[in-house]
Amino acid sequence: MPAERTAHALYHRTVVWVLFLILLLPLAGTLLYSLATSWSATILPSGLTLKWYLALWSETRFLQAFGRSLFVCVGALVLATVLILPLLFVINYHFPRLDALMNVLILLPFAVPPVVSAVGLLQLYGSGPLAMVGTPWILMGCYFTVALPFMYRAISNNLQAIQLRDLMDAAHLLGASTLQAALLVVLPNLRKGLLVALLLSFSFLFGEFVFANLLVGTQYETLQVYLNNMRNSTGHINSALVISYFFFVLVLTWLATFLNKGKH
Amino acid sequence: MSFVTVENLQKRYGDTAVFSDIAFSIAKGEFITLLGPSGCGKSTLLRCIAGLTGVSAGRILLDGQDLVPLAPQKRDIGMVFQSYALFPNMTVEQNVAFGLRMQKVATGPARERVAEVLQLVELDTFAQRYPHQLSGGQCQRVALARSLVTRPRLLLLDEPLSALDARIRKHLREQIRQIQQELGLTTLFVTHDQEEALTMSDRIFLMNKGQIVQSGDAQALYTAPVNAFAAGFIGNYNLLGSEDASRLLGRAVPRSLAIRPEAIGLLADPGGDGEITGHSLLGNVIRYRVRAQGVSLVVDVLNRSAADLYPNGQRVRLAIEPGELREVA
Repeated sequence: MPAERTAHALYHRTVVWVLFLILLLPLAGTLLYSLATSWSATILPSGLTLKWYLALWSETRFLQAFGRSLFVCVGALVLATVLILPLLFVINYHFPRLDALMNVLILLPFAVPPVVSAVGLLQLYGSGPLAMVGTPWILMGCYFTVALPFMYRAISNNLQAIQLRDLMDAAHLLGASTLQAALLVVLPNLRKGLLVALLLSFSFLFGEFVFANLLVGTQYETLQVYLNNMRNSTGHINSALVISYFFFVLVLTWLATFLNKGKH
Repeated sequence: MSFVTVENLQKRYGDTAVFSDIAFSIAKGEFITLLGPSGCGKSTLLRCIAGLTGVSAGRILLDGQDLVPLAPQKRDIGMVFQSYALFPNMTVEQNVAFGLRMQKVATGPARERVAEVLQLVELDTFAQRYPHQLSGGQCQRVALARSLVTRPRLLLLDEPLSALDARIRKHLREQIRQIQQELGLTTLFVTHDQEEALTMSDRIFLMNKGQIVQSGDAQALYTAPVNAFAAGFIGNYNLLGSEDASRLLGRAVPRSLAIRPEAIGLLADPGGDGEITGHSLLGNVIRYRVRAQGVSLVVDVLNRSAADLYPNGQRVRLAIEPGELREVA
């Protein structure tokens, strides 16, 4: 029996490692290519260098695209936090029956394919009093709707876990106003859920391409649009860009996982 | 002199009445229990007194002041919840100090009062712990300390022991009663557990379907139930319809009868009209199921020695004190 169990464990471990290596291989290839001085007709690169990273991180256009992506994503998430947190509080505390309706509403951004909704947005905001196409504002609003399901679900689960009503009632009876109870008791207990939701949404939005390309394109070049526009330049720079982007998202995802583990 | 007076209190949700025409008064320092089955309206009544749920009609007077128009913050009432409702982001000390912080009590005196009340609930060494580092019993003691520290005029306890295991529950109920008596605190306790109600209370208000069906001290409630519900809810009364009661007693009985299981005596007698049909050992008590005159009865007998145990099928004679027969509506 123990021998059979060891064989099973070995099989499972092998499958997991093979899968991991298959997934890692293109990334490792890209990393190696981004560090290679040149790599064309040989199995291994002829030498290693950091010059592509230096070139990339000293290019103004890249830095601007990076900054724009940061600005749009942070703006969308600030908007999401400011709107969703009070909304969730009101729904959970005063109108719990509306939660079912909200669960349907937050799925709507997923019900329409991005290309289709982008076409609709182009028509709606292309001209007239709300002409925003080509500006970061339309992207921010659009990203807000994309982030809504992630944010809403994560914070809603967090709210249900802390028994909001009892905490609010206890705080009220101890003399706190609703605002004091929300700020001193509820909000600190949502901090971790909120941070995890924000970081995961950020990682997702930072890599978003379809809306960015269709709604603003080169008029407000974000990181993914820049990457697309640079596809014909040297592969070493592109590889350095992909690895930089991957590393940035990796750190954010790790941070989200780390914060989630710390939850009690 | 009544300290709390509830007059014609009503709570309705649309056409459904949770409770109606509730009226009672409580003297200062009394420990009152609202006892009743789930859904009888006892917790809603408590929440109405706390101000967490609005009332449809009626008045709640605390020391002469009408509480109904006041927000919960202004009522000066402490409350302990079944779920503890401790603030997870705060330590035990911070949880207990929260009410004082809201009252803007200076740090020095606040610290002293927190230490004092933590000592009272024997948790002074746990001051820096977080709620998730405490057991259920400890959490409930912190919740009690938190509600006591502001020195409320009235303490409300909403099934505070229901989520705890039997041993801790027993210890904590003794501790709650002791603290309540020490502080002379007027307390309203909600439970569905008759043992808790009987052992802790000065008086018990028995509730059913939104009404107080009987009130009185533990002895009165236990020995003189006013109706079939009270007899069925308190103790393990044998409830007999008038027909069964007439057959058992051999005389006409106009109303239903309630007989306490321990008020029936059993004597082994081969010619007796009763037969043991089953028994179970409850520790110091043996609970028999007896059939006599076609009527099934539960009889509790003190377990004094193994020789006392009657086997199933044993013929027995039943002895019932006439004074222990309760006619109920």
